[in-house]
Amino acid sequence: MKRRLIYIMLMLFLAGCTAEVYETPLYSRYSARQDIAVAQVSGFQLNDSVKVDAVILVADDTAAWLGLKEEFDIRVSAGVTSWMGDIDEPRQRVRRSDLPAWRVMALNEERTIAFYRIGDSVQYQALLDYQLENMIKDK
Amino acid sequence: MEQNRITFDELWEQQERAGLQQRMMQDYPEWMRRRRIRRASLATVTVLAVAMVSLFNYQFSIQRPYDAVLCNRTTFPDSHWADVAATILTKEII
Repeated sequence: MKRRLIYIMLMLFLAGCTAEVYETPLYSRYSARQDIAVAQVSGFQLNDSVKVDAVILVADDTAAWLGLKEEFDIRVSAGVTSWMGDIDEPRQRVRRSDLPAWRVMALNEERTIAFYRIGDSVQYQALLDYQLENMIKDK
Repeated sequence: MEQNRITFDELWEQQERAGLQQRMMQDYPEWMRRRRIRRASLATVTVLAVAMVSLFNYQFSIQRPYDAVLCNRTTFPDSHWADVAATILTKEII
């Protein structure tokens, strides 16, 4: 009986340790690309109770970046540009109220696009609060 | 002449198959006590080990600002990508 209990506990522990992370379709779409570094940060913490999933694309070179810009219809060539993107097709711009959606930010100088998955208004507000708080800290 | 020796556990299994465990318990009380202690010690050590590793994982997870990271490259540690996700948020002009 005790041995069984130990086995069950070990199995539960191992199951917890090896639990697979959900791969977003956006990450899957770009994970095979050789010219782009793709990362998915699951459960990125915005405050004590709110987390979001983030996907980051970093182009290795100018050619890859120009390709990404075209894919996501980014027309500015300097600084930061952002929009709310459709959850299935983040290239498409949507309204803030059309949740779930991606909060997309593209940084030209860093050849980087970051996508934050916003599921509801609480996450959206937490994201804005995080931005404001940290920008104030930086100053 | 070589003596055919048998361990207590083997003997126990034999008796278990024969349905004579109760008698063995009466005949070998000291063995049974040692067996209980050995099993209890093993269980305690296992539970403590699992608890310590779980506690370590829990403490580690509450210190970091993310649950998990997937990446198609192995160049950077997971924390790098969490830092990137955090830094980008501070660069947008609202």
